[in-house]
Amino acid sequence: MHVVIINGSPRVKKFSNTDKIIQAFVQGLQEGEATYELYSLSNRGEWDAAREAYLTHDRTIIAVPLYVECVPSLLLEFLESLPTERTHPGELSFILHSGFSEGHQLRMGERFLQSLPAQLGCTFGGCLVHGNSFTIRLSQPKEVESIVKPYIAMGRSFASHGNFLTKEATKFTGPERYPWLLRQLVEKLLKTKVSKRFEIFAQEWGCTRPLDDKPYQES
Amino acid sequence: MADTLPASWKTYRKPSRRYERYKMKALALNTSGTSIDSDQIKRLLPNNGDEVEFINTSDMKIAHCIGCNQCWLKTPGICAIKDDYETIVKRLVQVRDLWIISDTRFGFLDFKGKRVLDRIMPMLNMYLEFRDGWMRHQLRYHILNVGIIYQGHGDQALLAEWCERASHNLGGRSLGVFAIHNGKEAAPCM
Repeated sequence: MHVVIINGSPRVKKFSNTDKIIQAFVQGLQEGEATYELYSLSNRGEWDAAREAYLTHDRTIIAVPLYVECVPSLLLEFLESLPTERTHPGELSFILHSGFSEGHQLRMGERFLQSLPAQLGCTFGGCLVHGNSFTIRLSQPKEVESIVKPYIAMGRSFASHGNFLTKEATKFTGPERYPWLLRQLVEKLLKTKVSKRFEIFAQEWGCTRPLDDKPYQES
Repeated sequence: MADTLPASWKTYRKPSRRYERYKMKALALNTSGTSIDSDQIKRLLPNNGDEVEFINTSDMKIAHCIGCNQCWLKTPGICAIKDDYETIVKRLVQVRDLWIISDTRFGFLDFKGKRVLDRIMPMLNMYLEFRDGWMRHQLRYHILNVGIIYQGHGDQALLAEWCERASHNLGGRSLGVFAIHNGKEAAPCM
């Protein structure tokens, strides 16, 4: 099996959480003896090749972060450049991830992606939905490895089934909502440890203003 | 409107009268490259759009959000991309209602319509909290309500749900999703 993978994130590849997820996923794909080719839409120079690969192969995965309850506008621009009919049969699958952990945060984006393949003359190969990816960029390599590791198994599963229309892909999302008690705990952590961590990241990035600064506030 | 303000905003500071006047105004971003008769749009808006400031973004230089997170972690509230969107953020700080006028693709906003919402990140900050049972980023300034006016083949139910969810992320509510048919008739769909 050969899979075309399109990284739909606008963030440059070097800092792309989506790319790190893809790297783990393709490790599993290769273990399952599938091959792949990867294109990143953050590099406009790859758009023509990505379009050509999508049109000439029968299996494509678009991996994308959630942006304002749907996909990033950059990916929409690319999709708008695709023909709505194709001569070669095609199946379109998706990996949708988000910084938020709970599954319900991603359902709007998933709903849009479910409706997309038919409008491009493709069949729908399922959508792998998973959160908790925000800290990938801000973490040390070991921690990143542990965050993206579960995607290796999903790569193997895709190599075996050819899509995400499987029980394990559905279960991969994790909890739709945190149980009440866990939510109370998370809420406390957000106010303390998580906020502190963001402030440390900001300092490392050279930030000199408070994170809740209001630069355009009227005096 | 006061009853729609979250507690954190109510205690933030007492708005001045001048500030409240600003708050009564709305901003409409016309992202459609084709000409939509502004009178049609105004008929859809409260008070016939008298208090709406229109900005035509189709001839502005606006890049895609690249998710660099600098507006949250390096220069809080200030986007790293220096283009015409900076003017829009400054106006958003002064209004409470945001209308997006957009063409459609795939039943959704086209990329130009979605792009102006993707760039709204400086209106939020990095801190997270639970609001209405959802984990969300804190509001940097105040609530924003969002409404959509679209032309073309929009999926009304999809757009309505998306608008509702996007508005809630900004602490506000959906102002509604309206279709303009054939560039002639304006029909409220909420």
